[in-house]
Amino acid sequence: MKKNPPRWASKLLEWWGDPETAEEVQGDLLELYAYWAETVGEREARWRYGLSVLKLMRPLAKWKETESSTPFFLRPDMIRNYLKIAWRNLVLHKAFTFINIIGLAVGMATCLLIVLFVTHELSYDRYHAKSDRTYRMTIYGQIGGKEIKAAQVSVPAGPTLAHDYAGVEMLTRLTPDGTFIVKQGPNSFKEERVVFADSNFFEVFSIPLLKGNRKTALLEPNTIVLTETVARKYFGEQDPIGQSLKLGNRGVFRVTGVCQDVPANTHFHYDMFGSLRSIQLRDTWLSSGILTYIVLQPGYSIHQLEVKMPEMIKKYVGPEVQQLLGMSLSDFNQKGNRFEFRFQPITDIHLHSDYEGEIEANSDIKYIYIFSLIAVFILLVACINFMNLATAGSAGRAKEVGIRKVLGSLQKQLIGQFLSESVLVTMLSLIGALLLVWAALPVFNQLTGKEFGLSEITGGWMLPGILLTSLLIGLLAGSYPAFFLSAFKPVSVLKGSIRAGFKSGWLRNLLVTIQFAVSIGMIIGTMVVYQQLQFIQNKKVGFEKDQVLILHDTYTLGKQINAFKTELKKLTPVLNVTLAGYLPAGATNNGTDGFQPDNGDPQATVYREKSYYIDEDYLPTMGIKLAQGRNFSKAFLSDSVGILVNEAAVKRFGWKKPIGQQLWRIGNGNPDSHRKFTVVGVVKDFHFESMHQHIAPLVMFYGSDNFQMALRIRTENLPELLKMVEQRWKAQTDNPFAYSFLNDRFNKMYRSEQVVSQLFGIFAGLTVIISCLGLFGLAMFTAQQRTKEIGVRKVLGASVASVVALLSKDFLKLVLVAILIATPIAWYAMNRWLQDFAYKIDLAWWVFALAGLLAVLIALLTVSFQSIKTALVNPVKSLRSE
Amino acid sequence: MKRAFLGEFEEVVLLTVAVLDESAYGVTITQEIEQKTGRAVGFSTVHTTLQRLEEKGYLSSKMSGATAERGGRRKRFFTVTTAGRKALMEVKNIREQLWDALPPQTLQLMGG
Repeated sequence: MKKNPPRWASKLLEWWGDPETAEEVQGDLLELYAYWAETVGEREARWRYGLSVLKLMRPLAKWKETESSTPFFLRPDMIRNYLKIAWRNLVLHKAFTFINIIGLAVGMATCLLIVLFVTHELSYDRYHAKSDRTYRMTIYGQIGGKEIKAAQVSVPAGPTLAHDYAGVEMLTRLTPDGTFIVKQGPNSFKEERVVFADSNFFEVFSIPLLKGNRKTALLEPNTIVLTETVARKYFGEQDPIGQSLKLGNRGVFRVTGVCQDVPANTHFHYDMFGSLRSIQLRDTWLSSGILTYIVLQPGYSIHQLEVKMPEMIKKYVGPEVQQLLGMSLSDFNQKGNRFEFRFQPITDIHLHSDYEGEIEANSDIKYIYIFSLIAVFILLVACINFMNLATAGSAGRAKEVGIRKVLGSLQKQLIGQFLSESVLVTMLSLIGALLLVWAALPVFNQLTGKEFGLSEITGGWMLPGILLTSLLIGLLAGSYPAFFLSAFKPVSVLKGSIRAGFKSGWLRNLLVTIQFAVSIGMIIGTMVVYQQLQFIQNKKVGFEKDQVLILHDTYTLGKQINAFKTELKKLTPVLNVTLAGYLPAGATNNGTDGFQPDNGDPQATVYREKSYYIDEDYLPTMGIKLAQGRNFSKAFLSDSVGILVNEAAVKRFGWKKPIGQQLWRIGNGNPDSHRKFTVVGVVKDFHFESMHQHIAPLVMFYGSDNFQMALRIRTENLPELLKMVEQRWKAQTDNPFAYSFLNDRFNKMYRSEQVVSQLFGIFAGLTVIISCLGLFGLAMFTAQQRTKEIGVRKVLGASVASVVALLSKDFLKLVLVAILIATPIAWYAMNRWLQDFAYKIDLAWWVFALAGLLAVLIALLTVSFQSIKTALVNPVKSLRSE
Repeated sequence: MKRAFLGEFEEVVLLTVAVLDESAYGVTITQEIEQKTGRAVGFSTVHTTLQRLEEKGYLSSKMSGATAERGGRRKRFFTVTTAGRKALMEVKNIREQLWDALPPQTLQLMGG
C-alpha cells in the first residue's frame, strides 16, 4: 500500500508553514496520514492531508501573530485601511479633491481622445496581410528646374518591372477615372469613388469579398465589384451578382462581386471597382500614369529593385525621350533633369506622402507629432496640479505623519497610504474622463472626420492599457508626496520645528512655471494659427470668389451643353457663364504639359507646367484680370493655336515682351499633339492652387472643358435663382442636379488648417483651465497657511490692497518666468509651422505680448479671488483660529 | 488581569490532554477527540487550538526524544498546567452549580 502523502502538500508545508513548529507538525501529519489511509481510505486521506496543509500555511494560519509585530505593508487588511483613510481624507478636503479630480479627468479625457486619433492615423493600411511587403511605385523627376513627385507611374512600368526582374510576387494597378453618373433601372446616382483595378486587386489588398470569386471577379472587361453599402443602395436586398449598371459613358457593367466596405484606415475609399480591362490605357512611358502597387516576394528587399531602376529607365524611357524631345536620355540628364522610379511602403502613404495625383488628400505625420505632444503636455499639466496640491497639503498632514510614526508606522506603510490616496483619485478621475470622452465623442468625430465609437475605447488592448496608464499616473503623481511626506522625522514635526509644505517650495514653483509655460505656448500657437487662417481666407486671390455658382457634371448634358449655357445666360441674375472644367478651388481637372520655348534651339530646356483649357467667357466670369494683350475671342480664328499665360510663366520663360512669343507643346507622342502656340495675352497671377505653394506658371489653351460650369451671378434671392437653374437642368436631363459655390470650395481647401486651428483652440483652452485649477488650489492653500500672518499684518495696519499684492506677487513672478521660457520656444515652433505656407503672416511681437498679458491676467484673476477673500477676513477671526 | 475565557472546543481539547496524560500529542489528541465525540476534527484546528491554549498558559509542552518513525521527526507532548487545571475545575464547578440549581421537575422533563 502506498503510504506517502501528496508531495506538493508536503513541499508547501515545508516552505510556508511556521518554522517554529514545523518539525512536530510535519511528523504529526505524516502519522495522521497513515492513520487516515487505514481508516477512511487513501483518497480521503490525501484530501484531508492537503486540506490540513493549506490551513496551516502561514498567511492563513493566524496563530503566530502577536500584537507587537508590524503587519506587512501590502497585506489586504492594510490596503483596506489605506483606502478607508484615503477616502476620509478626500472627503475632508472636498475642494482640493474636486480640483484634482476635475483637472485630471479633463486631462485624461483629452489624452484619450488624442490617443484614439493618433492610433487610428498610425493604423492606416496596416491591416493588409502583406502590408510589410507592399510598395507603391512613384516617379521622382526634375524637369526644367522643377521637382516632380508623382504618385502615378507610367502604365507599362509595373508590368515591365514584374516581367524583367525577379522579386515581384504580385503587381496590381488602379486608375480612378473621374466621377460617373451611374444608372440602374430608373435610379441614377452620381458616384465619385469609382476606380478601375487589375484583377488581382483583392489579393494585394485585404478587403474581403462577400460574394463572388476573389480571383476572377475582375478578369473580364466591363465587370464590376461593389462595396456592401453601394450594392444595397442599388439593389436593396436583391442579389447583386449578375445584375448590371450603366456607368456614364463607359457603358454597361456586370456586377461580379460584393466586397466589404473599405476600412476607414485605408489610403483610398472606393465604392466601385471596375475591371481595368474595361478602359483603354495609353501604353507609353512619358504620359499620364496609373497607380501601381507591387508586393515583394518574401526575403527580397526593396533595395534590390531600386538598383535596377536606372537600367530599366535607360532601356524603355530612353527611346521615348529621344522621340519626344529630340535628345538622348544622357543629354536630358546632363541638363540637370531627372527621371526616376522610386518605391514607398504603403504604410507610409497616409502620413508621409504628398505627391501629385494622390488618391485622397493624405494626412501629415507633423500633425501626429503635434497632437501627441499636446496630449503629453495636457497630461503633464494635470499631473503637476496633483503633485502641487499634494505637497502643498503636506503641511496639514505633517502632524498626522508624526503621530502615525510615533504609533509605530513604518515609512513603507505611509508610502503605501499616500500612494493609495493618489491611485484612488486617479481612478475616480478615470471614471470622470471616460464620461467626458463619451460626451465629447460626437463633437470630436465631427471635427476630425472620423467615426469613433465607444467600442474603440473599450475594445482590445485599449481598456487594460488605459487602466494601467491611470495606475501609473497615480503612482507617479503620488510618488513625490508619498516619499517626501513619509520621510518626516516625527520629533521635529511634532515639536513644530518643520514648517512642512514650504520646504518644497522650489519644486512647486518649478512645476507651476512649467504649467504656465505650456499654457502660454498653446495660447500663442492658437493665435498664430488663427491669424494665418484669416490671412489665407482674406488674401486677394486674383479672382472674385464670391457670387460664383458652380454646376457639377455638366458633361452629362452632352451636345446640349451650349444651348443650356445660352439659356442660362438669358437669366437676369446671371451675368456670365463659362465652361469651367478647370477651377482654382475644389474638384477640378488637372493638366500638366511639357513646353519648350521656340528659340531655334531644338535642344532648348524643357519645362513641365500646369495647363488649363478655357473658353472666352472664363476670365470675365471668374473675374481674372489681364495684364497684357487680350482675352481669347471667337473673332480670331488663329486663337486655336493661341495661349494665355500668367505672369509667373512669363518670368519662368524669361520673356521681356511676352505677347507674340511662341512655345512648343511636347505632347504625348502623338504627332498631332506636338504643336507650336503663340502667346496672345498675359493674365495677372491668381491662386489656382492652395497657399501652401507659390503661384506656379500656368498656360491656358483655348478650348473648353465641359466637366463643370461656372456662373457669375448677382442676386439677393439665391433660392429663387437656384430653382430657376434647376428647372432648366431638369428640362435637359434626368441626371442629378448638383452645385456648389466657389467661396465655399475655396474655404474647404483649408479644412485641415481649420481643424487644426479649432483643435488648437480647444486644447489651449483646456490647458489653461487645468493650470488655473491648480493655481486656484495653490492660492487657496497659501491663503490658509498664512491666515495668522495676514491677521497680524492687518492688526498692524496693512491695507487690503497690500495683502492682496503680498499673496499674488509670488505667483505672478512664476508666470513672468513662464512667459520668458515660452516665448522663444513658441516663436521657433510656429515659425516652423508657417514654413509650410508660401504665403504667410509675419510673427508679430504683439502676439507674444498679448499671450503673455492674457496669461498674467488669468493668473491674477485666479489668485486674487482667493487673496481678496483672505484679505477681507476680519483679523479677529483669523487670529482666533486654531 | 481579566480571566481568560475558555471556549467550548478549547475545553474539549484541554480535557483530552488531561485524559491522555503522558501521551498527549497532536495525533493522539486528534484521534481521541474524534473517537470520543464522534465528530470529524481537522488536524489544523486541533493544532491551532493547542497553540492558543499554550499561549494562554493552560498547557505546557516539551519535545520528545528522536524516534525512528515518522521520518525521524520528534513529537511535541502537551501537559495541563496548574492554571489549566484551575480553569477546567472552574468550568466544571460552574456547570455543576448550574445543574444543581435546576428545578427537579425540569430535570424530570429532561429525562434525568
